[in-house]
Amino acid sequence: MTNEVSKPNKGMFDAVVFANKQIRQRFYRLGLEFSGDGAAAFGKAKAGQFAELDLSSIALPPTEGIAEDLRDVAERKILLRRPFSFCDVSSRKEKTRVDILYCAVGPATLRMTTLSAGKSVSVIGPLGNGFQMPADKKMVLLVSGGMGAGPLIHLAKTLATDYPKVEVIAFAGAKTKTELPFERPLDEISQQLGFSLHEFARYGVESEVATDDGSAGYEGLITDCFSKWLGQRSLSAKDTIIYSCGPEKMLARMAKIAEDKGIDCQVSMERMMACGIGVCQSCAVKCRVEGSSETIYKLCCKDGPVFDSKEIVFKL
Amino acid sequence: MTETVDISVEFAGLKLANPVFTASGTCGYADELADFMDINQLGGFITKSVTAKPRMGNPTPRVVETDSGMLNAIGLANIGLDAFIQEKLPIIAKLTVPVFVNVAGETIEDYMAVVQRLATEQAIAGFELNISCPNVAKGGISFGTEPAQVTEITSAVKKAAGEKVLMVKLSPCVTDISVIARAAVEAGADALSLINTFTAMVIDIETHKPVLANKTGGLSGPAIKPIAVYLVNKVYNEVTKERGMPILGLGGVRTASDAVEFIIAGATAVAVGTANFVEPGCAVKIIEGIKKYCVRKEIKNIKELIGCLG
Repeated sequence: MTNEVSKPNKGMFDAVVFANKQIRQRFYRLGLEFSGDGAAAFGKAKAGQFAELDLSSIALPPTEGIAEDLRDVAERKILLRRPFSFCDVSSRKEKTRVDILYCAVGPATLRMTTLSAGKSVSVIGPLGNGFQMPADKKMVLLVSGGMGAGPLIHLAKTLATDYPKVEVIAFAGAKTKTELPFERPLDEISQQLGFSLHEFARYGVESEVATDDGSAGYEGLITDCFSKWLGQRSLSAKDTIIYSCGPEKMLARMAKIAEDKGIDCQVSMERMMACGIGVCQSCAVKCRVEGSSETIYKLCCKDGPVFDSKEIVFKL
Repeated sequence: MTETVDISVEFAGLKLANPVFTASGTCGYADELADFMDINQLGGFITKSVTAKPRMGNPTPRVVETDSGMLNAIGLANIGLDAFIQEKLPIIAKLTVPVFVNVAGETIEDYMAVVQRLATEQAIAGFELNISCPNVAKGGISFGTEPAQVTEITSAVKKAAGEKVLMVKLSPCVTDISVIARAAVEAGADALSLINTFTAMVIDIETHKPVLANKTGGLSGPAIKPIAVYLVNKVYNEVTKERGMPILGLGGVRTASDAVEFIIAGATAVAVGTANFVEPGCAVKIIEGIKKYCVRKEIKNIKELIGCLG
């Protein structure tokens, strides 16, 4: 008789850094490896879920390695963990690897850049609810703004594996070319692949790019780029679903576009969090109550971070 | 080796296995922490505030980090008494650890409503009277800063609490905390917990606006610990010592050393708050650390340590 103990779905685990690569300017990709219970818990992690990293004891880069506009904020001591979604999760030989796409913009993420291979990091997760895929959908549209691309890259992989027959198209926007969080220089991509971002192309997903200043792809908001694209296609609304992650104003526009077209839309929300596990009540998201004019607060960490876009009362 | 050390304490007639609680609002209603710690290993557990009616809480942002601390302005968001009884009490009833329900309200009647309904519940060891929340427009801290109001609310709730232990949670935002402590004690409090958070503000220098939607929030975490230790010692010396009344010390407890500091200052037990957000389950580590400290210092019984400040 085997003495099998049920593995926890989430918990606090020590992960080992296996990679931490600067992919362009302020964008990095951190690779964490979990063993034992951590590998089991994170092996089940879904696209859209997140983890809380304790970065408080990690050293800052030397001052000369910090961009001048960030030196002041870098000095702040940090106490709380920071939430990050995943851009990839893969399990092999009882280990699970989790990749996190991040942007070094504050005291915690600047510290994160100094994590080198072999270093240990305390991680709580996987937390929250990921994107839900209804079985009857034939077309998936992924729409991201800035750093919001991370969990949608993860989702593209999941869809390629679990729903190979579903057509998936990605739309990625940013203010300007250098703020697109993708690894390959876009000039090369634009020449060779016609804006097909490698991060999505590897899962057979075509992509469109927009920048507010027109420095890459469509000139304008990604939501406008998406609307225009949508207007040129005759999609079956009921067969289609949109997944979106990015700034709240962008998500609000996505919710409107989806509602106007009668397309289901799930959005990944962001809030300041303290605990990430549903106890501190910090990360409240105002939500509509179905069939009533009332609103309630749900928790981004526990009830989200992925919500049906129709539910959300966006902060504008 | 650590087994030979007695870290159990007497707390207002309750025998606690150890002197470590988790603070209200940092561990929910116990079920949320199941993946991270065994709640029954604690000396005591304090629930998130319960109010007579459910409260949505404040708009966001509700929290902001500061150097070695954080501000929160949750606004007592909670499920309300009825849902607490239906959904949470059955979970709490299964715990072996003594559970205190943190009670808040806008009026004395609100507090009374909660305490009266719960006073006969076997699952509950006592109440923590929250008269020190800085983040609500009505009630909260306003009850805890005027001695006459402290007397009125404490004596009213004491009657409603019946046999249950009544602990009153004090605000540090007063001229003399001992005056407030004395008012609570003389009105019937069985124990005091101190301190709640400090009213504070963080400003966004880009927008010239406060970061929190509530404008101000309560400062907690390591940043407030030395003040909390001082205030515990002050109240111990000036109010509770002569009466043999216990203090639950809290404010920035993150390590066993922090806990020991509070106990030396005069606390019978300590509560871990903000640190739970960083490391859920750290209270259990603190309990082990206290035992190790006692072994190292050859302290056979932790009671020797309470208020031993030289």
